[in-house]
Amino acid sequence: MKVIEIHNVNKIYNESEVKVHAVNGVTLDFEEGEFAAIVGPSGSGKTTLLNLIGGLDNPTSGDVMIGGSLMSSLKGSDLTDFRMHNIGFVFQAYNLIPVLTARENTEFVMRLQGKTAKECSNRVEELLKAVGLEERMEARPSKLSGGQQQRVAVARALASKPKFVLADEPTANLDSKSTETLLDIMEKLNKEENITFIFSTHDARVVKKARRVITIEDGKVISDEYKNIED
Amino acid sequence: MITSISWKNVWRNKSRSLIVIIAVTLGTIAGVFVAGLMNGWVNQRIKAAIYTEVGHIKVQNPDFLVNEEAAYSISNFLEVTKYLDNSTHVKAWSARSKIMGMASTARGNAGLTLKGIHPEKDKLVSDIYANLLPNTGSYFESKSKQPPVFISHKTAEQLKIKNFRIRDVTVDSLKTLDVPENVILKLDTLINTRFITQKKFEVAIKEVWNSTEIKSYGPALLSTAAYFHPRAKITFSFTKINGELGYQTYQVCGVYKTSNTMFDQNSAFVKHSDLAPAAMLADNQIHEISILLNSEENIAGFKTTLQTKFPEASVMDWKELAPDAGMMADFMTMYYYIIMGIIFFALAFGIINTMLMAILERIKEIGMLMAIGMNRIKVFIMIMLETVFLTLTGSLIGMILGGLLIKITGETGLNFSSVAEGFEAFGWSSVVYPTIETSFFLGVILMVIVIAILSSIVPARKALKMKPIDALKME
Repeated sequence: MKVIEIHNVNKIYNESEVKVHAVNGVTLDFEEGEFAAIVGPSGSGKTTLLNLIGGLDNPTSGDVMIGGSLMSSLKGSDLTDFRMHNIGFVFQAYNLIPVLTARENTEFVMRLQGKTAKECSNRVEELLKAVGLEERMEARPSKLSGGQQQRVAVARALASKPKFVLADEPTANLDSKSTETLLDIMEKLNKEENITFIFSTHDARVVKKARRVITIEDGKVISDEYKNIED
Repeated sequence: MITSISWKNVWRNKSRSLIVIIAVTLGTIAGVFVAGLMNGWVNQRIKAAIYTEVGHIKVQNPDFLVNEEAAYSISNFLEVTKYLDNSTHVKAWSARSKIMGMASTARGNAGLTLKGIHPEKDKLVSDIYANLLPNTGSYFESKSKQPPVFISHKTAEQLKIKNFRIRDVTVDSLKTLDVPENVILKLDTLINTRFITQKKFEVAIKEVWNSTEIKSYGPALLSTAAYFHPRAKITFSFTKINGELGYQTYQVCGVYKTSNTMFDQNSAFVKHSDLAPAAMLADNQIHEISILLNSEENIAGFKTTLQTKFPEASVMDWKELAPDAGMMADFMTMYYYIIMGIIFFALAFGIINTMLMAILERIKEIGMLMAIGMNRIKVFIMIMLETVFLTLTGSLIGMILGGLLIKITGETGLNFSSVAEGFEAFGWSSVVYPTIETSFFLGVILMVIVIAILSSIVPARKALKMKPIDALKME
């Protein structure tokens, strides 16, 4: 089942006098349960493409459809609510809420959806256990390492059971060991929960784990390969 | 969840938040205390106006209001008093005859109004008897050859029956006030000498004390050496009801002092039974009936009923009779809120500045919150709650401390005796007992919440103007 459909999407930045074609005629589909990496050099347009898929930015032309809904038809609070219910985000800089504990950060989106702390409890504990942080549930981000914080961010992205997770350079600030751990966790959750993961990265370790690698250069998709990786 | 984040956000930068909280606390303490002080003053003034000066309602002959002549007595006095006796609303009433006159002694004179009362009945309406100065006599209790008169300290000064004498009790008082022994010893030559004016007493003191001693201990000596000449005789001259000039000599039975100099200067009390024959008034020729009701809530209704029942009489309530106190009763609550409003308005700029700093520091985080699903309304609520918590914390502490300050000073009283003359000239007591109603605090809490919400608009707009994607790019 197609989760994301991108049809001939363009994004042109008109800053100063020079037009920048950040995304140039991209057409892509993502099926449920994919574990895909969008790779390319800095400035190739991978983060812009991720932002367009996540509804954080609007395409200059073309359509982005998520689960059959046209993103450009959603505005304001409807768009925010749509993101809350359908998309999980993992950012390069973790972006956890510093005043909340790992548990509270993880349940945050669920609470925004109107669930009570009690209703969130099982799911949050299950996820934090899955990312190996069952002992650090009550720790605030300042007491966690970078790798641990990113694992909390992954748990937060998955807590509300979104249709897919967008991870923008999730391993950029992590050491090798933390990267390995994080990727293993995301791969495991992808398989167990059948949630689509899409990464933007130029980290070879992520590319190695991905089952689909989309290469983008100057805003254009230059290759889209599926790999056969043995479980 | 949003409430919890907002509260935790307040404590992200503890020192910055504490500075704002302390500023709000101090502002609230100041506002609450000033309101309590003014409220205490106003309540004391209203209490004095009602229970010492005019009562709840006063019935008079309307012509007497224009021209205070003895002939203008209440025309149907007996009917009115009969009605009052049968009314369930009336707690007590007192009938008074009033004659304008001139009081004279060998050394001074003063114009005033003689009020002829039935002392025991008047006690139920006016607490003037409770304002008797110590060691000056009694409220119509002592026996004398001449008819008794109850005069004010101000009248006593004008008539120069306030004397000065250094007695043993004066020396003892000075010792308790920590006046050095050697300074007290210098007064030995003046002990038991009577000075009939303050000026003469001061001249004598200057001969034994140097200027430093006078400056340090003079006021204490003046107040402890002053006494009122007991049983002084005062002659009153007045116009009788038939237009002829009348005289009557009275003997001072006691001296009183209220917080209203104007009232004191103008009022001397005698027995109606003494005044009526001297002024050729009949026993039921009364110029005013002062009425005290069981409940202040009935004043307006009872006044209307009484006026309807006796249209030929002038029926006025205390707000009309003491318009200064009446005006304050009507508007003071509004003034308290204006004071608090001005304080919070000034504090609002500091709160806006602090919140702006707090929001600009977290703009990236707010972008992230909007990206993962926090809509603009929830972001606004979060910032608004943060501002409310920041402001409310300071104001609640301020209200508790301000309330405690009012409670303490409300029991001990605040003495403004150094400027007593100025205050008392307007009827304000120089010793104030601050007080405040609980409802005032509820009003302040409401005001704080409104100010905090208004203060949150600028920082919230700043945050909401950003698109999540732009905010996320910020470092």
